[in-house]
Amino acid sequence: MREELHVGMAMGTGIAAASDRDVGSREIAIDVRGVSRRFDKKEALRGVSLLLRRGTVHALLGPNGAGKTTLLRILAGLVDPDAGTVVVEGDPSMERTSRRYRSTIRMTPSGDRSFYLRISGIENLVFFARMYGLRPKQAKSRAQECFAAVGLEHAGDLRVGRYSHGMQKRLSVARALLVPAPILLIDEATHDLDPQGAARIRGLIRETVEEGAAVLWATQRLDEIRGFADHVTLLNRGEVRFEGTVRAFMAVSPPRRYLVHLRDAAKSENDRERGILARSQEALDGLGRIVPTDEADDGHLLMALEEDVILSQALGALMATEIEVLACLEERSEIEEAFLNLTDPEV
Amino acid sequence: MAQIARSRFSLASSEVRKLSAFVRRDLLEMLSYRLAFVSDWLSMIGQVVVFYFVGKMVSPETIAAYGGSQVSYIEFVAVGIALTAVLDVGLGKVISAVRQEQLYGTLEALLASPTASTTAQLGLAAYDMLYVPIRMTIFLVLVSVLFGAHFTWTGLGPVAFILLAFGPLVWGLGIVSAAGVLTFRKGTLVIGFAGFAFAVASGIYFPVGVLPTWLQPLAEANPITVALNGMRSALLGTAGYRDVLPEFLQLVPIAVVCVIAGIVAFRAALRRERGLGTLGLY
Repeated sequence: MREELHVGMAMGTGIAAASDRDVGSREIAIDVRGVSRRFDKKEALRGVSLLLRRGTVHALLGPNGAGKTTLLRILAGLVDPDAGTVVVEGDPSMERTSRRYRSTIRMTPSGDRSFYLRISGIENLVFFARMYGLRPKQAKSRAQECFAAVGLEHAGDLRVGRYSHGMQKRLSVARALLVPAPILLIDEATHDLDPQGAARIRGLIRETVEEGAAVLWATQRLDEIRGFADHVTLLNRGEVRFEGTVRAFMAVSPPRRYLVHLRDAAKSENDRERGILARSQEALDGLGRIVPTDEADDGHLLMALEEDVILSQALGALMATEIEVLACLEERSEIEEAFLNLTDPEV
Repeated sequence: MAQIARSRFSLASSEVRKLSAFVRRDLLEMLSYRLAFVSDWLSMIGQVVVFYFVGKMVSPETIAAYGGSQVSYIEFVAVGIALTAVLDVGLGKVISAVRQEQLYGTLEALLASPTASTTAQLGLAAYDMLYVPIRMTIFLVLVSVLFGAHFTWTGLGPVAFILLAFGPLVWGLGIVSAAGVLTFRKGTLVIGFAGFAFAVASGIYFPVGVLPTWLQPLAEANPITVALNGMRSALLGTAGYRDVLPEFLQLVPIAVVCVIAGIVAFRAALRRERGLGTLGLY
């Protein structure tokens, strides 16, 4: 299971597979094929292929060292791949270091180091707006708009050297939005942000997507991809382990696990064996398993469902045998389950 | 054809416009280091004070006459010190600017924007290219007022004419060195040594005639000496544009070679860093 490439299309979820590449080429902002990159002995990327569609957010998931940042840096033209091709806007003749290529792509890097620390955030934005070709007046007004849009208006004339990590992240996103570009590459943009700040940034990105931009969103915050991303590519040790929709990704999880609180479950082990636990196990026969948790005996049991079994079936089976379910909590999100299932355990 | 030409012209003018953004950025940065700004001026004045007293031991006869009149050592050395500011910018500032961009991580952000690498290279020194002639003039005025040195102020025009060739020459060398820094990260020591050797075998602090005989032809061919000869003739003598034309023409081919070498070396260094994937490494 771990060594397989999971492709959403194979599960009938509608993701563009290799055969779709030519058919939907007008919709494709970036077509990455078989990109590999090695740093000394470490293979950072191995034959990575990915399709980024216009008007979509494509989440790039993966544990630390999976190759997400290397892939983004290759797409931004900052690193050359050893093998493979990157076609942007359907034009194979566009060189990755050309001015046209760089006009097409904006990148928000993962680290803090990308601003002039001795000058204010606004002045940094004005400078980069000029680099993107705006005239002085336009640059100033656009810088102020973007500065406010990411919630930094209170920072005023503060030098960037005095910014927190989160503020620098916001500034980095503001820079990417200065001059609309068809493609945004965003690396860990919400990493240091509070929940409100992260939601604000995602909202801004979603607005650009509504206007037709294609966004490649590298993240380790699994919770944020639901309801935000349209597609997912999961990298592990430089290889694509999954490609598909968020829904398909969530489906790649082992039997779901729930923490259930049953009436009379908090009794002694002997009582359990004879009573509620044994009866529950019997009721769930074929649907899943139910076991005591490792925690103190507080009346909670861990229920793991078999594949294709839905929660209501299991709860129905329990209630049919007059077991009273007082509470039922998802023990871990499907996204996290899928992530763990598709990536290698940390060594 | 005309459309392509128009598009190229519009692209070039848009790149030239970006230089003012670099100037503004560097001005703001400089204003944020107020103490460094003041200490720069103090150290330069301090240098002149030292040479003023050293000059008291130097017989004016050992210094060549300019425009038929004998000049004092302080007048001679002040022009040399003024020129070192151009060397500082062309070699030192360009190199340190590239290093700083690497350390701040802004080099990648800059190169990821649709800005030509030549614009970025020019931008790194744009502010100083404007600031140095102003600094040079104010410096000479101060030396004149404080130490009674006499300069031919109408010679500033011919000096600017010489700098039109000498400035790009030094900038080109600076960009070659910056390419070295981009590649090897450290390299300022070697560059500092080369700069020192370059300055010694010129005529900044003493006439080339006092150098060992075998070193003199080398020193005479040194572009710094060539530029200094022209500048001194203009500021200490009566040389006009026509008189400094030979020095200008001598410097132009070297400047062209240095600028081309700088652009090629920097592009090659960027290509190498992209290939190695170490552009963001510092």
